[in-house]
Amino acid sequence: MNFLMQFAATEEAAGGDIFSTLGIDWRLLILQIIAFLILVWILGKFVYPWLMKSVDERQAKIEESVKAAEEAEKKAESAQEEIATLLKDARAEAKDIVTTAKDEAAAMVADAEGKAKTRAEKIVADAHDQLQKDVIAARKALHNDTIELVALATEKIVGKTVNDGIDKKIITEAVQAETAKERA
Amino acid sequence: MAGAKLSRRKIAAYFADEIADGRNITKQLAAYLVESKRVREADLVVRDIEAALADRGILLTDVASSRELAAETKQAITAFLKQTTGAKDVHIRSHVDPYLLGGVRIDTPGARLDATLRHKLNQLTASKI
Repeated sequence: MNFLMQFAATEEAAGGDIFSTLGIDWRLLILQIIAFLILVWILGKFVYPWLMKSVDERQAKIEESVKAAEEAEKKAESAQEEIATLLKDARAEAKDIVTTAKDEAAAMVADAEGKAKTRAEKIVADAHDQLQKDVIAARKALHNDTIELVALATEKIVGKTVNDGIDKKIITEAVQAETAKERA
Repeated sequence: MAGAKLSRRKIAAYFADEIADGRNITKQLAAYLVESKRVREADLVVRDIEAALADRGILLTDVASSRELAAETKQAITAFLKQTTGAKDVHIRSHVDPYLLGGVRIDTPGARLDATLRHKLNQLTASKI
């Protein structure tokens, strides 16, 4: 109620102008508008370009980062594919190596078996030959010992058993045999 | 005979001829060998003389046996030698060697017949391998 009474009193004192009624000083308002326009001009001339430039640069950096990230992602994918290819090749190579190693091992085993078999056969053959040689040597030794024994026994027996009659008979037979040989 | 050095063959032929004719010149031969300093060749000369005598039908033979040979055996050997060599006269020099065990070994100039038991035993022993 007080407020309204104060407003009516002010209205009467101002003489009925609306700006005065509202408490607005139009000169001050113009100054404020001019100041505002100057501010807008200054902002548009100096601040906004700098700000927009910063924003553009920021955006460019962001786009560059995004692009770099995409490229990195692509590279990562490519690297992953390459890794997969390498792994595949490595697995294939490892498989080949294992296969080759198995083949070589089998060949070595077969070669070793062959050599062992050959060596065993040679050992058996050598043993057989040695046995044959030993048998032959034993036979020779037996033969020679028998001859030696027979000669000794014959000498002993003949020395005791041969008398004049037998000696004469031996000589006569020898002479007759030689005579027959001469005639023949 | 005391001139130039004669060959053994000539000496043997001369000596054999003399013996064949019934002359004994053994002393002259011995003297010649001594004089010509050829005593060392005596054995060789004797061997050549025996060979020369064999060529003239006179056979000197060495007969070795383990026992003394009976006359009958000697006659058989003589007949055998005459038959095989064609000699007219055979002279046997007998030797007794018990080592021979039995049988007989006959040596003539250039030939040998070994029919002894020792020889057979030696042959048996030599057959060792």
